[in-house]
Amino acid sequence: MLTFPDVSLTALLPIIISLVTACVATLGGLYTSRQNVAYIGLGGLVLTLLSLIALWNNNTTSFKGALLADNYAVAFSVVIVIGALLSLIASLDSARKAQLNFPEFDALLHFGITGCLIIAFAGDLVVLLIGVEVMSLASYVLATFQTSRRAEEAGMKYFLLGSIGSAILIYGIALTFGATGHFDFAGISSAIAQKDFANNTLLVMGSLLMLAGFSFKVGMAPFHQWTPDVYSGSPTLVTLFMSIVVKTAAFAGFVRVFQVALGSSDAWQIPLQILIGLTVIVGNMAAIRQNELKRMLAYSAIAHSGYLALAMLSEPSSGSNALVFYLLSYTLMNAGAFAVIGAIQKDDRGATLEDLRGLFYRRPMYAVAMGLFLASLAGLPPLGGFIGKYTLFSAAFSNGYVFISVLCIVSSMYALVYYLRPAMMMFMRVEGGEMPLQLESRPSSGVTIAVSAVGVLLLGIVPGVVLGLLEGAGKLLQAMQ
Amino acid sequence: MIHLFLFLPLIAALIVSLIPDRQIKRWTAALAAALTLGIGLGLSLNGGAALERYTWISQLGMTYSVSLEGVSLLLSLVVAFMSLLAVLYAGWKVERSSAMLVLVLMMESTLLGIFMARDLVLFYVFFEAALIPSLLLLSMYGGPNRLTALTRFAIYTIVGSLFLLAAIIGVKVYGGAPTFALEDILKNPIPKNVQTILFLGFLAAFAVKLPLFPLHGWLAQFHEENHSSGVADVMGTLYKVGGYGLFAWALPLFPDAARDLHIPLMWISAFTAIYAAWIAFSQTSWKRLLAFAGLSHMGMVGLGVFSLNATAATGAMYLLAFQGVYMGALFLGVGMLASRAEVNAARPEGYGLGVFQGGVMGSAPILGGLTMTLWLAAIGVPGLAGFVGEFSILFGSYQVAPWISFTAGLATIAAAAYALTAYQKTFWEVSPEDAHLSSDHPEEAHDLGHTSLVSRIVSDLTPLEWTILAPSVGVLVFFGIYSAPALNLIQPAARALMGLFTGGSQ
Repeated sequence: MLTFPDVSLTALLPIIISLVTACVATLGGLYTSRQNVAYIGLGGLVLTLLSLIALWNNNTTSFKGALLADNYAVAFSVVIVIGALLSLIASLDSARKAQLNFPEFDALLHFGITGCLIIAFAGDLVVLLIGVEVMSLASYVLATFQTSRRAEEAGMKYFLLGSIGSAILIYGIALTFGATGHFDFAGISSAIAQKDFANNTLLVMGSLLMLAGFSFKVGMAPFHQWTPDVYSGSPTLVTLFMSIVVKTAAFAGFVRVFQVALGSSDAWQIPLQILIGLTVIVGNMAAIRQNELKRMLAYSAIAHSGYLALAMLSEPSSGSNALVFYLLSYTLMNAGAFAVIGAIQKDDRGATLEDLRGLFYRRPMYAVAMGLFLASLAGLPPLGGFIGKYTLFSAAFSNGYVFISVLCIVSSMYALVYYLRPAMMMFMRVEGGEMPLQLESRPSSGVTIAVSAVGVLLLGIVPGVVLGLLEGAGKLLQAMQ
Repeated sequence: MIHLFLFLPLIAALIVSLIPDRQIKRWTAALAAALTLGIGLGLSLNGGAALERYTWISQLGMTYSVSLEGVSLLLSLVVAFMSLLAVLYAGWKVERSSAMLVLVLMMESTLLGIFMARDLVLFYVFFEAALIPSLLLLSMYGGPNRLTALTRFAIYTIVGSLFLLAAIIGVKVYGGAPTFALEDILKNPIPKNVQTILFLGFLAAFAVKLPLFPLHGWLAQFHEENHSSGVADVMGTLYKVGGYGLFAWALPLFPDAARDLHIPLMWISAFTAIYAAWIAFSQTSWKRLLAFAGLSHMGMVGLGVFSLNATAATGAMYLLAFQGVYMGALFLGVGMLASRAEVNAARPEGYGLGVFQGGVMGSAPILGGLTMTLWLAAIGVPGLAGFVGEFSILFGSYQVAPWISFTAGLATIAAAAYALTAYQKTFWEVSPEDAHLSSDHPEEAHDLGHTSLVSRIVSDLTPLEWTILAPSVGVLVFFGIYSAPALNLIQPAARALMGLFTGGSQ
């Protein structure tokens, strides 16, 4: 007898809206200009955001738990959509300059966002994989979208290495399924807790392969090599999108898999600590030597993946709260920083440290905002980055992972050097010689920058609002017993 | 009122940054700084302000707790006083000073916050936030090698403060206090076995900011590269809050660890005092000389704090407060000298003004006299504020460890040597050929064929400079003769703190 599958459209609403927006953007390009398509996209994102807010505290599921619209999913999705909004607003004026002013750009962006939302909502490994693939394919194309050798090279590299990452992830999923007989997170978790699985070696192999696969996706050492090339080779606008939206989504999946599905397994904690240690050291040490801002921020993004991964070593509820908070601040500060680079760069190679010299005396607002973003990335109080770092580090520290949290704190000393150098150069007077920066006015990039700057400040001064919201909603993530 | 005192400079900084007109800008800044000082003095008439506590981030156990009592009150008043002088000097003397005014006011707020915070994280927030205006002052107004100086200063500070951050997390985790408020932390003592490691975390941050040998590497270059007016150096001197951090946070939180480590730390402090005095003696640039002189004083402050003795600790806080006045005023005094230097003079030896100037006394006796008084305060001549501090430190630490006290005492002798030598070279002696100070009428001097010290006619104090130097000297003389008001602020806290250490002598 045929039974109607368990489909709850309410739980699916954000994904559906985003998908419809993507389709409209695809077709709309045939009839109207890119600018209009972008405005339609903005409307779609706002609707997505509203539907997410409606889902808050509802804890619905769909497809028998394959799609979970719990607060965890909603919180990450909100961060994803905020990041997407900031990217899209910045694209309104910078896309033309970057030769990305086609409606197809919007279509791909929205498909990517849909993939990201699917990852955040995923309740089993197959849905997760579909989300990861949708997101990745869209971002491969976005990276190559500009007709320039650099972009093509970056996109190709991203595609090849990203495919390897996906392949490893699929292997991991297959082995985990082979060991436990479940795709869904709850099933895997209970199978491990009850020691009801076929083969321990298989499970360990599976979880380690998934760890490697996710490490590819979030750019953790030693699987980070694609990040600097892709971040610096892609158009700045695309880098902005990738560095925040894609990363948030990848972490949403990463943490859910390891904290929920594999939460009762003890196979991955030590390898993860080694990866985190490597990541923060490699990321921070390499960032110091960079002269190109985009490459520097790429390495900084690598180091940040290490900090963010600490959430998996924390007690699940405090870890995921800290993670969402930090990803929100990270989204704001990275969006702002890349938007400033996009606004002052000559071409999509970005700006070098020297280019920033004396920026304060030509464009004071950009310089002040960039200074805020860099200080926040460095974790200086009273900015969002400080509270975020503090919550992440102290969550892992108080869960007993003292060494790795102290290592992360200590390695962020290096980080201060490379964040402060450009920040200070902006305030140094140029002695003779104008910098060949393009300084036309950029109203909508300005909106992204201003929103991010205000957000970073507010998250630092009154973080209680966001933290209270996260805490008031009960535990985002509970290890399933 | 206490909140207004804390945030008025910051608010003023925001307002000043929006005012386009230079005249209104500087008057606003000066008015705000004066008002802040006025509020501070008003509060001090009522003995300060009691603890005010509000929840800041309840989820993380952070509170907004501030109070203005005892040591904090004294140090806050010094900050407000010196900031006012810095604002006046910056506003009316320094060219393109608008950003400088904003930064000085921002820094004033953060420094006040450091002294007023009664919550560990709030303290950390102000401690770090003060770094930002300090770095900006250096990068916007610094000398040619400021990038090196800046990087070095930033690295030292950050390395220290990140250890502090790690230790702060440790305090919460191991002590188990519900919040970071000082009263709560003190109610939940830290277990003995982790005290030492956490204490070292605090020490790392405060030893950089004290600074203590061997963590002083940033200091000389920081002062040398800062703007020649000395305004940034005044704020930098006030930012040496390590001694206060040890006194107010590290010792009460980790009494056992402090008791275990205090003798080696006293040796390090004494060594810093004498080593810095030694180096100061061979400096040829005024700013470097002042930097090392300040370092030597900070060694004394460290000695006083680490003695774990009420008398010595009182002296240390007294010295910390008033060195902010005399070192700051000396930096401004050097700035006044430098402003008389020839604009286009080649300065191979660096950005700062050299000490080999010669003959200033002949034509600028008031500048010379006031500078002399400041120096006498700095080297601890009785009758001036520096003496009370240094004497108490040596007297108190002698009761704990006579030999260390004796060693540090040598530094006060050395201080007289480096200070008076440098003073003599600039203000007396014959002006050498390559001196940079301009005369008002060079042709005239040449015509007369004078080569002696009278040939260089350096203009004497302007009214502005009078308003800077005279009050500083006045404060130093007043508290040198009548130190009771300041001592009464420090002593209760020092006695209470040292009650924790059974090994202390009082």
